[in-house]
Amino acid sequence: MKIPKRSFEASVPSMAMGDIAFLLLIFFVILARAQDDSHLRWEPAAEEELEQAKNYKASVVIDVDSKSYLNGRPIAQGQLAGALTDLLGNAEQNKRTVLLKVHKDATAIHFEPVIEAVSKAGGEIHHVLEKQRK
Amino acid sequence: MKLRRNKLLVEPPAGASSDIAFILIIFFLVCASVQPEQGRPQEIPKSEEEPDKKNQSQNPEVELTRTAVILNGDPVPNKSFAPRLASVLARKERKEDKVVVLKSRKDVPYERWINITGLIEQAGGIVTLQLEEEQAHIVN
Repeated sequence: MKIPKRSFEASVPSMAMGDIAFLLLIFFVILARAQDDSHLRWEPAAEEELEQAKNYKASVVIDVDSKSYLNGRPIAQGQLAGALTDLLGNAEQNKRTVLLKVHKDATAIHFEPVIEAVSKAGGEIHHVLEKQRK
Repeated sequence: MKLRRNKLLVEPPAGASSDIAFILIIFFLVCASVQPEQGRPQEIPKSEEEPDKKNQSQNPEVELTRTAVILNGDPVPNKSFAPRLASVLARKERKEDKVVVLKSRKDVPYERWINITGLIEQAGGIVTLQLEEEQAHIVN
């Protein structure tokens, strides 16, 4: 004799969907934050005429303590050229822009090797500056 | 005669609150992620392992210190630097001759460096760097 199985209806509670979406969003925001450099402290130098950067592939920061960072992560100056070469890969000529965010009081001994590293990697430098107040 | 209205309690639909929260988060995220990316592009010729000394000696040389600018060995006041360099570059026709060799002292701040390289570019020059270690190498 066959005993028929009782079937139970199991449904995902739809009320929790909003909470799940919210938690997923927080997760991706934290993931994205790990790659950006908004947490770094630096003050831009001033310039009269500015241009908007387009199609940038990477950003290099030299902060108030003259430490260098590639895409928000600390990096030694000696490793910068290699890391940038890997990041830029075989990108087209006008898509090899590297944003350079240097603290205005950083000295040449710190920023010139960085500029040379970007140049060695075949990157196009875009200095991030602020508008000069008259 | 005054008619009395029926007062009904109208509650907003609670089911939509998560969607509203989601849209608000997206809005604040977009606002927060707008960082300043304005500045100045700069073309720096790719550095060579062994610089061409013969060619380099013909190019204008700018030595930059915290307080002074030295153009081809002569100290130049900051104000007259741009016109002096422009007149030097005006005599050069080929693009490779317009390359200006910039030697900066270790303690030159970035803001000053940016101002001077801006003036060099305005005068029609292309900046190339000579780093401290290369400078020592050439002297030796």
